[in-house]
Amino acid sequence: MYKFKIVYLPEFLEYLQEKYTLWAPAKSGTETEFKVISSFAEIDQSRLNTTLNPKEIFFPRREVLFSYDENGIKTPPPPEKPVAVWGLRTCDTRSIRMLDEVFSNAHQMPEKEMFKDPYWINKYADSLLISQACRQPLSTCFCNWFNSGPFDETGSDIFVIKGEVNYYLKGISDKGQEVLAGFAKAEQTDEKDAAEIKDLQAAAESYMSPALDISDLKSKLDKIWDDPLWEEIGAKCINCGACAYICPTCHCFDVSDEGKAGKGKRVRLWDACMFQLFTKEASGHNPRSNSLNRVRQRVMHKYNYFVDNYQKFLCTGCGRCVSVCPVNMDIREIIKKILAHEI
Amino acid sequence: MTELQNKIRELLEDHTVDLVIGWENGSLPLVSSPVFIKKAEDAGKVNFDVTCRNNLTTYLTKDRRQLGKDYQKIGIVVKGCDARSVVLYVTENQVKREKVFLIGVPCQGVLEKKKIFDICEGREVLEKRVEGENIIFKGHAFEIKVPFNDVLSDSCLGCRYPDAREFDAFIGTPRGELEKKDEFKVVDDFEKKTPEERWAYIKDEYSRCIRCYACRNVCPSCYCNECFVDHNDPQWIGKTPEVTDNIIFHLIRNLHLAGRCVDCGACVSACPVNLDLRIMNKKVEKEMKDRFNYTAGLDINEKPAMATYCENEKQDFIMG
Repeated sequence: MYKFKIVYLPEFLEYLQEKYTLWAPAKSGTETEFKVISSFAEIDQSRLNTTLNPKEIFFPRREVLFSYDENGIKTPPPPEKPVAVWGLRTCDTRSIRMLDEVFSNAHQMPEKEMFKDPYWINKYADSLLISQACRQPLSTCFCNWFNSGPFDETGSDIFVIKGEVNYYLKGISDKGQEVLAGFAKAEQTDEKDAAEIKDLQAAAESYMSPALDISDLKSKLDKIWDDPLWEEIGAKCINCGACAYICPTCHCFDVSDEGKAGKGKRVRLWDACMFQLFTKEASGHNPRSNSLNRVRQRVMHKYNYFVDNYQKFLCTGCGRCVSVCPVNMDIREIIKKILAHEI
Repeated sequence: MTELQNKIRELLEDHTVDLVIGWENGSLPLVSSPVFIKKAEDAGKVNFDVTCRNNLTTYLTKDRRQLGKDYQKIGIVVKGCDARSVVLYVTENQVKREKVFLIGVPCQGVLEKKKIFDICEGREVLEKRVEGENIIFKGHAFEIKVPFNDVLSDSCLGCRYPDAREFDAFIGTPRGELEKKDEFKVVDDFEKKTPEERWAYIKDEYSRCIRCYACRNVCPSCYCNECFVDHNDPQWIGKTPEVTDNIIFHLIRNLHLAGRCVDCGACVSACPVNLDLRIMNKKVEKEMKDRFNYTAGLDINEKPAMATYCENEKQDFIMG
């Protein structure tokens, strides 16, 4: 494990920029989101979680797939440098790894059935994900329900802990180790540092509420598709897309053509199962015509269908949806209701 | 049981209504949750306090209209602005007055999360307590006491009618009509800027919109069966969150709300990226007042401003 003084962070980030395009949390109006950073001063780490999620780095809310005019079709060029992300939380990093399974089909699927999304892979390839330990998790955080926690290193290339005077950095992947070994200001940690890290971890974990055992959630959901419970759960949902759009794991998208016959572009944009239009068919029929169907779909996709396909929940417990929902649809309360429901 | 809970229990017991829409304590300290009470014994869940931001009347329209079909009569807890939404619904033939039982409450105003976030310097609030004219926020290793007005939503600070004026039962002591001299100050200040400055502001704000439509979906006045943004044959507007289409969405929504916005602030508090959604709505509200002396939701017998015509209306846009 390495360390460097907190004051050397700008230098470390400049070092990363030699090889990478650097993304980090930055101000966006009153809020924060991940942006390409040119100088250290643009970084805003005042919030534990950024308002908007980091899926945007590899899966933008609006992405041109190709453009066309009389000279032919143009696809966007691959990025010049790979991406490095500073300031991720473990929940975010794990979300990006999940999306990678979806977009580059890294899970065990026969080769011929795999679809590799070139737009994702172009940006994701050779990326460096640096996650940072959460020293004071929020009351909305529930990553510990998913076998994770504020000091979970899973999925990171480099894992960072901010101490009182030092950043402690652990190279998790080979790529991460290589980057750290090449930074001149990085020193090896000693026993005193290890003790500080241990204390910080214990303090951080004390902020977390006890984890809920959700091992039965998937099998419960298998049995309640047509249960009246959904009425109770979904009645207050107003069917906006706030939860899906600020969710780091939601990845449904739509494709839209912009332009005229002679000139235009095809774009991919985020879509959300909470919208009426999401499943409306050309005939006018809508198989998920009411709010309850749509709420059920979102819960089922995250905690049931995704488990069927990828053997994990499509949720990392970042808690963003809990804090932004205009009508307090708290996913933790929904899960508790489902688990407590007698069939 | 509070007086409000008692009233709700009574209404359900004697079958005056078969459903009551109210608020209950939410899962977070600064958030309350809409609740649907069908049984008298559940009346104790209902609460009303400074976190009740939602305008619950939004549940009476849109694809939730089915709610109205399932119930003979719906009771609904209303603040001043919410009651004005019901008045609007009645004047626009969306809700039959006799189908709803309005339980009015005197509103002290509701909290704006962003102001609290700023005052607490981003630290998470775990507890809040109202103490006279002040409110106390507590979190890990901090406690802050601020005047209540510092954390009220802008809509509440500009509110003239905190009590439901249209109601079937009123719980508590009405606050009466409030004197507001500067309710359009925010618009007046904005109008003083140059067109370039105004355009830059609007562009900056709306460029951040992620098009989640939370503003539209919580809005009681946005009840079209099919919103123009959802219509795709022909497609009226680009679907992507791109600044020009974002502006088209918001400005058309503003115009559709002319004479219809009750400034309940629900859109502002619903926005996950905290856009300034109020300024343009307030501008349109001011225009409606100047031109037609009309304020939405005040008179249940008055025709909606945009559905009527009167010869002596200001027509300077035509006459020059």
